[in-house]
Amino acid sequence: MYSKRIESFLKRKKLKIGDMVTVTKEGRKISGLLMPQTVSGNPDILVIKLVDNGYNIGVKMEAGAAVEKGKGTEPVLVEEEAEFELGKTKTSGKLKFSAGKPKISLISTGGTISSRVDYRTGGVYAVKDPGEFLYNIPELAKAVNIRKLVTPFTKMSEDMEPQDWKQIARAVARELNSGDRGVIVTHGTDFLHYTAAALSFFLRGLTKPVVLVGAQRSSDRGSSDAGMNLLCAAHTAVSDIAEVGVCMHGRIDDDYCLFTRGTHVRKMDTQRRDAFRPINEYPLAKVWPDGKIMVKNRKHKKRDDNGKVKPDLKFEPKVAMLKTYPGSDPDVINYYISRGFRGFVIEGSGLGHVPVQAKKNWTSIIKKHTKDGVPFVITPQTIYGRINTSVYTNLRILYKETGAIPGGDMLSEVALVKLGWALGHTKDPEKVREIMLTNYAEEITSRTLVGTFLY
Amino acid sequence: MDYKKLGLKCGIEIHQQLATKHKLFCECSAAFQDREPVFEVKRKLRAVAGELGKIDTAAMHETLKGKVFRYKVYMNESCAVELDEEPPHPMNRQALEIGLQIAVMLNCEIPEEIEVMRKTVLDGSNTSGFQRTALVGLNGWVDTGFGRVGITNVCIEEDSAQILKKDRKGVVYGLNRLGIPLVEIGTSPDIHEPEQAREVAEKLGMILRSTGKVKRGIGTIRQDLNISITGGSRCEIKGVQKLNMIPKIVEKEVIRQKGIVAKGKNVSSDVRRALPDGRTDFLRPLPGAARMYPETDCPPIQVTGRMLERIKKSLPEIMTDTEQRLMKQYGLGEELAKQVVRSGKAALFEKLANVSDAKTVANVLTKYLKQFPVPDEKLDEFFGALGKKKVPKETLEGMLKQLSGGKPVKDVVTSAGEGLSEPDVENVVRDVIRKNPQVMKVARPEKALMGLVMKDVRGRAPGSLVMKVIMKEIKKH
Repeated sequence: MYSKRIESFLKRKKLKIGDMVTVTKEGRKISGLLMPQTVSGNPDILVIKLVDNGYNIGVKMEAGAAVEKGKGTEPVLVEEEAEFELGKTKTSGKLKFSAGKPKISLISTGGTISSRVDYRTGGVYAVKDPGEFLYNIPELAKAVNIRKLVTPFTKMSEDMEPQDWKQIARAVARELNSGDRGVIVTHGTDFLHYTAAALSFFLRGLTKPVVLVGAQRSSDRGSSDAGMNLLCAAHTAVSDIAEVGVCMHGRIDDDYCLFTRGTHVRKMDTQRRDAFRPINEYPLAKVWPDGKIMVKNRKHKKRDDNGKVKPDLKFEPKVAMLKTYPGSDPDVINYYISRGFRGFVIEGSGLGHVPVQAKKNWTSIIKKHTKDGVPFVITPQTIYGRINTSVYTNLRILYKETGAIPGGDMLSEVALVKLGWALGHTKDPEKVREIMLTNYAEEITSRTLVGTFLY
Repeated sequence: MDYKKLGLKCGIEIHQQLATKHKLFCECSAAFQDREPVFEVKRKLRAVAGELGKIDTAAMHETLKGKVFRYKVYMNESCAVELDEEPPHPMNRQALEIGLQIAVMLNCEIPEEIEVMRKTVLDGSNTSGFQRTALVGLNGWVDTGFGRVGITNVCIEEDSAQILKKDRKGVVYGLNRLGIPLVEIGTSPDIHEPEQAREVAEKLGMILRSTGKVKRGIGTIRQDLNISITGGSRCEIKGVQKLNMIPKIVEKEVIRQKGIVAKGKNVSSDVRRALPDGRTDFLRPLPGAARMYPETDCPPIQVTGRMLERIKKSLPEIMTDTEQRLMKQYGLGEELAKQVVRSGKAALFEKLANVSDAKTVANVLTKYLKQFPVPDEKLDEFFGALGKKKVPKETLEGMLKQLSGGKPVKDVVTSAGEGLSEPDVENVVRDVIRKNPQVMKVARPEKALMGLVMKDVRGRAPGSLVMKVIMKEIKKH
């Protein structure tokens, strides 16, 4: 971003990004293409792309420096190269799908997987036409026929809201009910597991695969994980596993992906390709980019191409997630209640404790609001494992006397989405409790399988 | 051959590893000493539209199809950054400063903001699919006996992963070399004589070594030559190992191109490999310029006036200047001065030569240390004790041997710096007799004693003095 001073100076000189310019300073001349300045660069420094070697350098604009429009136009090489970029005439529309392959749709919502760098300027943009990033993965056409590309919106996932989940769910239902074998949803990775949970509850009567996929390395680099993730997602979308799930790298090798149930998946690393891990359950399947699928968990619905999915989108967004920690003050609950919040997920310690005997005890406040009909669901802040309601006295006080709802081995994020969904359907606290304790999308397992820890 | 008439144009590109503690974009060790990989990661690369510049993505896709690159991971010398599992950390400041120092020494203009770029590389030698590189100097020059040669660019970049094995299944790379800081220096095609090419390469190498901050040894420097004649084409010759081979390589390449031109044929632009006898061998067609685009994960780096001032003030002395100075200031001969400078111990030499005899110090540093390694601090103490006094060669050797064997300086040199005095020798002899009482019972004890005592004092006391003391002690007994 250039400073106001530079911006107005460029405007006066009728210079814009991409123009050939010559900067004269202290008797030296520097010629090249005018580039944008990044947010982290010095706003008073002009960035010039040198024509003969392609390097960018910065030139400080201060007294004695002059900028003029360069005589020539953009060098042929740069111009010709640009023609090969995504979205330009030479690439767009080249990936053709065959009608003989199984039909699927791709719903693109934004995120790293559909971002691309402008190779000339270095700016990062969201691709407008999802066909652009498919161009890099010609093998897709051998697996599926992506008959429709839908872009309900384009957002980084950290900006998503429950309203967005509904839009995605509607689009998925519409395409599945129009005869698709499955649907791929491309998505940013940060909040991907929230959307996966939401779709798991929203898409009632699902009989086909809904595959969420993202990328940890952007699609514009040769080492991106987007290609393999999308290929595996395509194979999964036409498989017989009729579940909502996330399909991303299983290891840091470019070997296979894991397809993991939408209610048992979590982003467990900030940057690794294999950040999405199954929690408290085995992944549904291992999927290889050549189409091989190895089912790892037989507990999944089977495909029925005659089935119709019914979106059930009632959702109460006024739910909050809190966490207990040494000295944590339950008074925040009163604040949330005063702001109209209607339900809470509390990440308890260990087996599902909250401070009971501590000076700031949580049980009395939870008890008071539970009486008023506000549900409190307790989930394990250990991420792995299951809530227990009776091993210790404090647990018995919390769940028997205070009335908190034990979340079983539900992930906190899943419990939050589920609670909003439950409250969207009923205000009756007893009904909410019943919904929270009932399995709607295999979100609570009945058996703790030891091999699932740190899978 | 009349090279001017033939229109010889030659440029040199040098890649030199820097001797920094850490790698360029992470805190992994840049020592390149880890040899035992801890695990292996398999990766593929994909052709990406736009990233390749004018290269046809579909064709590139076919080339890369099914290609698996295997990367060996090392405990101390690779982390998530080398594995492309984590964005780069901020650029290594030490490497940046060395790069700026070299750029200043080569009379370059320094950008006010340095922008890190990505240079597309799809052969697997970079896990990311690109090499990170930044231009830190441009439009410089270096003078030669044949005239001035322009320096087009000084860049700081990351070294590539090292090929460990190539087989049917693909290439195995070691990640320990990936990310070691390199400086790349490119000259203009201003070189018009084969001998001039050698001179430029030698001079650039000498300037690099003068910083004292570049790695030494095999594989730490790589030199490429770009050669063309009128009517020929630019060919890049890689893997030039010895400086002395450069004129021959240039000459042979000129002859080769001349021969093709004479037949009325076109010289193709190739990348060629230098062979030990000066001939070259076709490697691959010369690729177009790699696509270069901004590394969005690295913020630009401001080069402030203050930073530049500091670098200019602390420029190292060029090695050839140091040689001249050592000759003048310390009276060293040319060969000895050269050896001192090339050993990289010029600074230590000056420190020691100020308290001791310069020639003795120079000889010790360049000749004896190989046989009798002694740490710098101990040398300092030793020459301090020795002072300006000249010591006979035999005595000096004996002293160094003992120092290198672990004896403290005070036991090797007396405060007078003359070796052992008579009372010192008496003490040693008495000590030996006390420890070996049986010696006194043999037929001629002086012979056995002489052997035992000399073991201890050789080089520190003359044999005649030892014998005198021994005879005295035997009489007393």
